[in-house]
Amino acid sequence: METEQVSSMLDLGTTKSYKIPVEHLDYSFIEKCTDVRHLEKILAVLRSGEEGIYPALTEFCEKKIESLDPRSQALRKEKPPATAASFSSDEWREIMCDLKSWSKEINQRETELKYQSVLDNSENVPPVRGSNVFVPSKQNKINKGKTSKNKVVPREYSEWDKFDVEKECAKVEGCNKEKSSPGLINHGLPKIKRKIDTTGLTDKEKNIIANREKDKGNEFFNAKDYEDAVVYYTRSISVIPSVAAYNNRAQAEIKLQHWNNAFNDCEKVLELEPNNMKALLRRATVYKHLGKVKEAADDLKKVLQAEPENVMAKKLLHETEENKDMQSKKQPKGKRILIQEVEDLDDEPETESCLLVGGESAAEKGEMGNAQRKFPGRGDGGLQTEEKTPSTAKKAQTKRGSSEKGSYQGAKEQGQVNEFQRNESYAGDQTSPSSSGTDSSRPDVPVDSGALPPDIARLKSQGNELFKSGQFSEALLKYTQAINDFTEAEIDSPGDLSILYSNRAACFLKDGNCSDCIQDSTRALELQPFSVKPLLRRAMAYESLERYRQAYVDYKTVLQIDSGVQSANDSVNRITRLLIDQDGHNWREKLPDIPAVPLSAQQNRWEGTSANYEQTQQKTKGFGGSKPVQDTGKKTEALFLSHKQEGNDFVKKGQYKDALGKYTECLKLKSSECAIYTNRALCNLKLNQYEEAKQDCDSALQLEPSNMKAFYRRAMAHKGLQNYAYCMDDLKEVLRLDPKVAEAEKELQEAAELLSKRSVAPDSQEKQRKKIQIQEVNDSDEEETENTRDRNDGKEVNRHVGTGDNQINHCGSENMFPLQPTNAYEFGQALNAVKSKEDIAACAKLLCSVEPENLPSLMSNKLEVDSFTIIIQALDNHLLQKDPILVYRHLVHLHEAERFKMVSLLLGKTEKEQVKQLFDHLSTVESVQFTSDDIQNLAKHYLF
Amino acid sequence: MSTPLEKPQIISHIQKGLNYTVFDSKWIPCSAKFVCMGNFARGTGVIQIYEVQHGEVQLIKEIEKAKPFKCGTFGATSLQQRHLATGDFGGNLNIWNLEAPEIPVYSVKAHTEIVNTIDGVGGLGIGDGAPEIVTGSRDGTVKVWDPRQRDTPVANMEPIEGEAKRDCWTVAFGNACNDQDRCICAGYDNGDIKLFDLRNMSVRWETNIKNGVCCVEFDRKDINMNKLVATSLEGKFHVFDMRTQHPTKGFASVSEKAHKSTVWQARHLPQNRDIFMTAGGAGSLHLWKYEYPAQRSKKDADEIEMGVAGSASLLQNVTLSTQPIASLDWSPDKQGLCVCSAFDQTVRVLIVTKLNRV
Repeated sequence: METEQVSSMLDLGTTKSYKIPVEHLDYSFIEKCTDVRHLEKILAVLRSGEEGIYPALTEFCEKKIESLDPRSQALRKEKPPATAASFSSDEWREIMCDLKSWSKEINQRETELKYQSVLDNSENVPPVRGSNVFVPSKQNKINKGKTSKNKVVPREYSEWDKFDVEKECAKVEGCNKEKSSPGLINHGLPKIKRKIDTTGLTDKEKNIIANREKDKGNEFFNAKDYEDAVVYYTRSISVIPSVAAYNNRAQAEIKLQHWNNAFNDCEKVLELEPNNMKALLRRATVYKHLGKVKEAADDLKKVLQAEPENVMAKKLLHETEENKDMQSKKQPKGKRILIQEVEDLDDEPETESCLLVGGESAAEKGEMGNAQRKFPGRGDGGLQTEEKTPSTAKKAQTKRGSSEKGSYQGAKEQGQVNEFQRNESYAGDQTSPSSSGTDSSRPDVPVDSGALPPDIARLKSQGNELFKSGQFSEALLKYTQAINDFTEAEIDSPGDLSILYSNRAACFLKDGNCSDCIQDSTRALELQPFSVKPLLRRAMAYESLERYRQAYVDYKTVLQIDSGVQSANDSVNRITRLLIDQDGHNWREKLPDIPAVPLSAQQNRWEGTSANYEQTQQKTKGFGGSKPVQDTGKKTEALFLSHKQEGNDFVKKGQYKDALGKYTECLKLKSSECAIYTNRALCNLKLNQYEEAKQDCDSALQLEPSNMKAFYRRAMAHKGLQNYAYCMDDLKEVLRLDPKVAEAEKELQEAAELLSKRSVAPDSQEKQRKKIQIQEVNDSDEEETENTRDRNDGKEVNRHVGTGDNQINHCGSENMFPLQPTNAYEFGQALNAVKSKEDIAACAKLLCSVEPENLPSLMSNKLEVDSFTIIIQALDNHLLQKDPILVYRHLVHLHEAERFKMVSLLLGKTEKEQVKQLFDHLSTVESVQFTSDDIQNLAKHYLF
Repeated sequence: MSTPLEKPQIISHIQKGLNYTVFDSKWIPCSAKFVCMGNFARGTGVIQIYEVQHGEVQLIKEIEKAKPFKCGTFGATSLQQRHLATGDFGGNLNIWNLEAPEIPVYSVKAHTEIVNTIDGVGGLGIGDGAPEIVTGSRDGTVKVWDPRQRDTPVANMEPIEGEAKRDCWTVAFGNACNDQDRCICAGYDNGDIKLFDLRNMSVRWETNIKNGVCCVEFDRKDINMNKLVATSLEGKFHVFDMRTQHPTKGFASVSEKAHKSTVWQARHLPQNRDIFMTAGGAGSLHLWKYEYPAQRSKKDADEIEMGVAGSASLLQNVTLSTQPIASLDWSPDKQGLCVCSAFDQTVRVLIVTKLNRV
């Protein structure tokens, strides 16, 4: 102490190295100082000993720093490795024994490995990376695609900060794709296989792999990536099922709240090890969340029997018992959690309004006549029912009224009023379209049932009230009563009954009683097919029950009816992800069929409104433009919508030029609609006007910077313009927005390929040509991509190969498609290519390459008149002579395709002639596979 | 420091002096043996195989070849074959059957100059897809090889003509989570780090960490890119979170000043991807644990997802030598067992305790 004071008195200057005032090297100062940096400097001075050596002060300073910042670097000291002395003798012995036993074990394993016959598992291994094969790197080092991509430019850090992607891209002008990629989140779930192919592996190796996959699962679990963890546990189980992997997967599933999966895993563990405490605990957790309080308590008691001190079990048991009490009063809590997830989708109970939308459009359809009348829709049926209803309702009313002696006076009045309203609304719909406006306003005006007898109507409205105030079980009772009365009264009004069921389904859903919800929704749908609300409810119920496939189908159906239902859109996305997790890439194959919604139900909203507007227009015309000014806004809006609708219709029919015109008119009226731009871009693309398509996409993206369609179409446009680098940018953007877009990924690969090819081209045409030839004989994989390229970019190939080179061209056009299209996308691509060239021979080849049974699924909903025609032509002109049986089988399956009915209605005279001709030819063929009767039956499907 | 025994301890179990400069050491998978590769004073290359037995190492085999060996990997071989792929001073890539090392099972003149670094994937059950080897060389190129294809690489990444060729010091495979996806990360002497996407054959991302990149490694090769550690010449290392790639900002990273000198190596524990060891120029080893942030991604001002880096905490550090530790390899079979070689011509077998409690 003394010496220190002396030194500070002698030299009140600063220290040499950090210029710290010497008086800072003091207990009291260090005590008070909270600046870690400063303390670290003091410590450095003290440690260096330049101001003298003070071990106690140094230690004091270290302690102070540690208390302020335990992770400070200054505290890191050089330490020698630990030795036996650093451990207690027991620990040391344990470590050494462990190592010894391990080395013994591993030696044994190694000798076993050596004596195992070496199995060749090369068939598991993917082929040698194809794209760069046989390119002598010495000759065209610079030209090679990936070479140009890799620019080892020493980029300074500061420069990197200022890096401007746009400028940089412009600079490299498309051929050099040195640029920063768009934002990506590496969610690899869909990409990871859930099973590991272990053929050819020895048990030892399998064991190692299973363990490793499990470890990976643990790591993901620790990083809170529960979904990944589940995948890796699943992989581990696929190699060798183990208790630990099942157990861990159960825990991960619990974290994800996939109760059923977790339950199954626990069950598996308990099958293998009936006394596995962890599994019991986890099963108890699952039970608790599923509301099975008793089972949960049983499990927990079992755990506590074996491990009386298990804190976790105690806590859970306590919670469960609390829950039990609550359950006796109310619904269990666990269930509510599940439902809360879906709650935001649809809170309001259904009022009449929903049905009215359908019914009203049906009525309009009847009026619209012409085009729509052809469809055997429920338009007419609906209308009839509506007409019938009031009278029957009245009958019922009087019946009730007389039997119950006017006690429902008020209710009756209400009913009459309702009825009046209802009639009025119908009248309004038919006569004064201006009142119907847009359909969004509709649900706000609850039009109550008029057809219902007053008591039922009252029960229903009471139910609605109760539902709104959250008393679901009371509402449930009311609805049930209403339904009972309804059936007793034998009223013939399926629509109203459907609504009652649908409302009751909503109550069940809220109460967490999913199976009853499904039952009621199904009944509602039987009575009133394709109504949105019961479908939505059933979908939600399915989803809560983790029956994702059914849920998916229902959501999809909803979207077919009205693609604007946001909750359905969201849910479909969510479920798609789940299904991919569950079933892998082929998840679609496992789906039940999605019912095709009749056109009458499908676009009812659009057509409804456009019809209204057409009427408005006519009226306006009739008045000779004497309409008040305020109507003009509405008018343009109406015009806009009708143009848009017409445009959409043209697109569907494949008349892109007409559609283009319509869309352009739309944009003249209103230039801020993103969808119009993307639609027009599509038309432009189809018409090969890439520059225009690109501009449209640009405009669309200005309006909506994250419009995936716009990105995708711009990518296609860029591809058409041969700006592959830009094309890839856009595709990457698409993948960033939704990594699951398979088309985009495919196109991306293609574009990458094209880009690498192209960068070679300008230098050495000769070489390029050679290269194509090499790759064509190389392997089928390569050929495929090569040909896809040809198809997509015939021009480019011509340039490279030379126009005179018929052979290669021919080759290209012959194999324009994958030999075995395996999915709808590939098939669609191939068919489009065939269509655009009107290459009937190629179409015939394509048809040869697919199994007729698969035709409808490959076709999916892409069947159009022109594709149908070319298929018929191909069958007739090329296949009939070669293989009439195949033709027959194709025809048998073709009419099962999704849009077949629709297409067959749209066929023109010549097309019909062709079909007839084909059947005539076919009936002349004699075969054991089919008789002429069969053909005639079949022909009925095709010719009305 | 008050509770030293609860932390992992690093024990220098066995030390063995060698009569050559050792550049790389690797455990032979599924065994208690490791190989050392290096350079005899007379200018020839040497591979030695040692086995850990009863607290010491026994020399099993010594192989001498014409060119000094710089690096080696077992990453692209099957467990049954366990062939060693090496890169040498002459720019050759050889694959040796250590049982019959007279002639290589695969040999190619891979580069015009020394092969600095090598990595393999697709073997040993690590990484889906084809077995592939990547080499990085002083000649500035990074090449990918498939042992089934003679003479030519399957992919070649080199600077375009006219550009200065930078010395590639380190390469690493990653993202091999399915048959198609695969990435290579390469570090260069000027501080460039480049991420090549082998699926798209493109540069997916690049950055510069100012100082020469001595070592890059993904925390695991066979999962969706998760983390990447890059160590640098001036004693820092950077951990990149590879989950979320921002269009302009790239990947989020955290850097930590680890050693007082060059960080030569960083190696992730095969049994726990969040623990890794760095080896420094002054003979020190630091054991780190990466801690994830609460949220691994967030939205920036433009609603674009961007990653959030976590932090690295030091678990333990020891100083083994005064010379740089040039190679470090965890045993894939025994958690905590590790071999490292330093330029003091010594190879050491280390035991790290209590790794499962971290």
